[in-house]
Amino acid sequence: MHEHDLDLIAALADGSLADEAEARALVDACDVCRSEYRSQVDVLAWVASAPHVEMTELEKAALHRDLWTELRRDPARAAPIPWWQRWSYVAAGLFVVVGLAGVLNGVMGSDSGGEAQESRVDLDAAQSGDDAAPFLAEDSDSDGGGESAATTTAAAEQAASVPFPELADEVRASRETDPGTGTTSPDATVDECLERVGLDDHIVVAELELDQVYLAVMAGDQEADRSVTFITPAECEIVFVDR
Amino acid sequence: MTLPGNEAELLTRVVSGDRAAFDAVMRTHEDRVFSVCLRILGDRERALDATQDTFLTVFRKAAQFQARSALGTWIYRIAVNTCYDHIRRSQRRPTQPLPDHVDPTDPSAEEAIESAALRPEIEAALAGIPADFRDAVILSDLEGLTMPEAAEVLGVPIGTVKSRVFRGRRLLAGQLGNQYDP
Repeated sequence: MHEHDLDLIAALADGSLADEAEARALVDACDVCRSEYRSQVDVLAWVASAPHVEMTELEKAALHRDLWTELRRDPARAAPIPWWQRWSYVAAGLFVVVGLAGVLNGVMGSDSGGEAQESRVDLDAAQSGDDAAPFLAEDSDSDGGGESAATTTAAAEQAASVPFPELADEVRASRETDPGTGTTSPDATVDECLERVGLDDHIVVAELELDQVYLAVMAGDQEADRSVTFITPAECEIVFVDR
Repeated sequence: MTLPGNEAELLTRVVSGDRAAFDAVMRTHEDRVFSVCLRILGDRERALDATQDTFLTVFRKAAQFQARSALGTWIYRIAVNTCYDHIRRSQRRPTQPLPDHVDPTDPSAEEAIESAALRPEIEAALAGIPADFRDAVILSDLEGLTMPEAAEVLGVPIGTVKSRVFRGRRLLAGQLGNQYDP
């Protein structure tokens, strides 16, 4: 084989050359190069016929849910906070401690033991929030139950981008495949929520962690009612019903 | 290298712990990361695990990203390295026999698996060539990365990637010929 420019032949085959003239001349003039070129083109066509690969919506939902579960489970490694932000949390914590100490000093007078105790607790809280603070803050927002109207509106806007009809189809199909899917009592709060929105005869079929957590619920008797309702357990709101 | 404005802003928000920003990064790259993992590992469950591990690493190392490459290229490099870790771990671990029958609970996943198995000969041919060549072909010809991007992801010079792609295709051509020869 003379000095065949294999890179050039490969680039001609995959169409990545800006100027193909030199490569074409090479291929036209050399049998070995032409043979290599055809071989590469055939392989590319063969490989291009491979099906496109992607995750299903349920797999994506599980990926997001499991990932955040893992990050919450291991909060020490959760958030990649840069050094300056770490120090800002510590500084904020110290500021709170100093302020609290001042207040306690004024209120409690000579009870310095209690003051020291309070201060230590606040400092611990500030430091433990070092890595996970943004997520813990977000969690406390969603668990608090006292959402502001602005937050609820934001949640509703976020929900608008979720492909609920497709998810509903998958949830429904999943339950038909495995009728055992679903639970009547994932926890008391969810039961209360279902009761509050008038769905106390429904069961939770799937928990989807997308832009936020949604529960997909269906009637216990799926022969009677195959609609899928999505609720946000944090706000206890129905965000979508697919009938 | 300067990141596009939206990528730079997203990353800044990720580093400050903005969950919605990280979800947006995931949504942009998750299908391609999964695709790369599935092609390298050849198993859907393992690919899903590797995809999750990839994004855990991306999140935990977001503050270390220095924008010397595109965000996507950096993420795919983590994905490829994560797959290599999974392969190493599985080689150290004794293999467990698969159950005779598994009931799929996600029908769309079952369809996806059937769809991906439409060309099993391609997957088999890829599995039959050396990993270095296979991964270069996967990134370049299946995932459509440019040679500089594939080189960055694999952590080798561009010339090496070009050579691997060429030789990988040549090996695949041999397998293609074998399959269609009487």
